[in-house]
Amino acid sequence: MIIADQKPMDEILEMISGIEKLLVLGCRGCVAVCSAGGDKEVGVLASALRLGRKKAGKPIEIDEATYVRQCDPEYLEPLKKDGKKYDAVLSMACGVGVNFIADRCPDVNVLPALNTSFYGANLSSGEWAEMCAGCGACVLHLTGGLCPVARCAKSLSNGPCGGSVGGRCEINKDVPCIWHQICKKLTGRKQDQLLREIVPIRDWRPSGHGGPRRRIREDLLP
Amino acid sequence: MNNNHPTGRIVAFCCNYTASVATDTLREAGLIPESLDVKKLPCTGRIEVPALLDAFEQGAEAVFVAGCRADECHNLSGSRRAEKRVGYTKKLLKELDIDPGRIEMFFVHCGETQPIVEAVREMTTRISKLERLHST
Repeated sequence: MIIADQKPMDEILEMISGIEKLLVLGCRGCVAVCSAGGDKEVGVLASALRLGRKKAGKPIEIDEATYVRQCDPEYLEPLKKDGKKYDAVLSMACGVGVNFIADRCPDVNVLPALNTSFYGANLSSGEWAEMCAGCGACVLHLTGGLCPVARCAKSLSNGPCGGSVGGRCEINKDVPCIWHQICKKLTGRKQDQLLREIVPIRDWRPSGHGGPRRRIREDLLP
Repeated sequence: MNNNHPTGRIVAFCCNYTASVATDTLREAGLIPESLDVKKLPCTGRIEVPALLDAFEQGAEAVFVAGCRADECHNLSGSRRAEKRVGYTKKLLKELDIDPGRIEMFFVHCGETQPIVEAVREMTTRISKLERLHST
């Protein structure tokens, strides 16, 4: 899922400094699952902003709502009209939701409450880690299912760099060297012939270096 | 809502098994100050951050959560969960430039009343040294 984190409170307060009527708008998609922008987080942020503004002597009127998703047009339909009632809509969706509101609801002043971070998995309650870089050219069949693009600090394609020590990455001892793990896994499965294959220089165009990406499935088009 | 107490209103979220029993005993003895608004919970693990912030929004000058001692919680980890949520609320208050000392977690053994008396005294002392958060 997409992992996001709330922006620092002072940044949000600065962003809404001239705003008198605000809608804090959550999303029940990825950001709700990663506890960054679901119903609960909407309640916390709205309450905190009311307190902060009251303390600053500039009370603010805040409404709260959460949409099923902010990245599908049907759910944004009500916002086209309702959004105009507010000086701003503070979206607690990922950047996709904020962009989509900006595209679909041009009369709405949409602001981001979150920093969108990465595609990750939930390691345990309250802990998420990056697992995929969305590079558009998956090589997981060659690497035992472990991604060297997302999980190697240097996104190396042909084995570890010279910096890893004892299976840990040189950037931080808490980060496992993913190439160490790939080698261990493939060797254990007797698939080490995969390690001898030289992977050519990666074409980064599908990862976004070729401009904004788009996916089309002809059979689903209207 | 009574916010006219000299030091301001204090909201206490109390575990039904331990701290609430203590507040009931103290109330019967006439020892619960007028400024204290006790909210009973089936377990302090039930408390969520929005409820803690809402107490401040509704006029509290200080908030405390009083739950079972960590190893005595009826629901095993309820009071520890509450402690984490109090910690998170402290972080939010700090970000809002509000003294994080306005909220605290206290652990109470079943049958003890003294920790509640001390908690109220402690929170009253803290807010008496701070500017009022809400106008009277």
